[in-house]
Amino acid sequence: MDYVILSLVLLAIGIYGLLTKRHLLKVFVSVELIAAAATLNFVMLASSLTKGLGETFLILAFSTDTCVSAVILALLVVVHRKYGTSDVGELVKREQSKEQEEAEE
Amino acid sequence: MILEVLSAGLVISACLAIFLDEAVYSIAALANTLVFVALLYVFSDALFVAIFQFAVGAGTLAILFLSGEMLSEKPAKKTPRKNVLGIIVAGALLSLPAIFLSIPGSTSAIGGATFEEALWNLRAVDVVLQGLVMMAVALGIAIVLHEKRKGVK
Repeated sequence: MDYVILSLVLLAIGIYGLLTKRHLLKVFVSVELIAAAATLNFVMLASSLTKGLGETFLILAFSTDTCVSAVILALLVVVHRKYGTSDVGELVKREQSKEQEEAEE
Repeated sequence: MILEVLSAGLVISACLAIFLDEAVYSIAALANTLVFVALLYVFSDALFVAIFQFAVGAGTLAILFLSGEMLSEKPAKKTPRKNVLGIIVAGALLSLPAIFLSIPGSTSAIGGATFEEALWNLRAVDVVLQGLVMMAVALGIAIVLHEKRKGVK
């Protein structure tokens, strides 16, 4: 059982989701998975080397993770209110067509 | 044995979280993932971190369930059961390397330390990167607020 490989697999799944999924909620889930992979690696290394310091470092990691989650959720709500969709591709299309209209005027 | 089952469950639920179409099911799978991670922490004697993970996860998931239900459009058709089974099998296959393979202890050349020790010795990089992420988030919020104020004027 190797936790480094486990966290690498988790990281790979998260990065795949980040690159392929277009819904903002799925992007958020991917970011959560990447953060979980990083913290898993950190905790397992610290616990296998019997260093309690790793657990204290995790407070920093969790607070960063929570900050990022809050910002992404706020963006999700704002984008959905403004555009009525959470699809990143759709948002880009709308912005491009808006810019085209402005250029034509 | 229990650690192997937990890690397989972790990878399978991570796959489900990414590949399921319905937002609520996807968030439920993410909740499973976080529970499996916390259980792995418990079984590796990191109880404090596990409690922290449960606390942070509970808050995040409550908000996520609400926003997932409110903000996401319902998909036209449900994910077929065959596809779900395929995702579970793919997740189980992906978890096999973590269970059966291992990185040899003497792969690192950094000061004669093992791979795990070398990674642990480089932990300062992780802390610096997290500081950079927090700074980027703060700068982003400041820029958004500045632009908004400019727009109001």
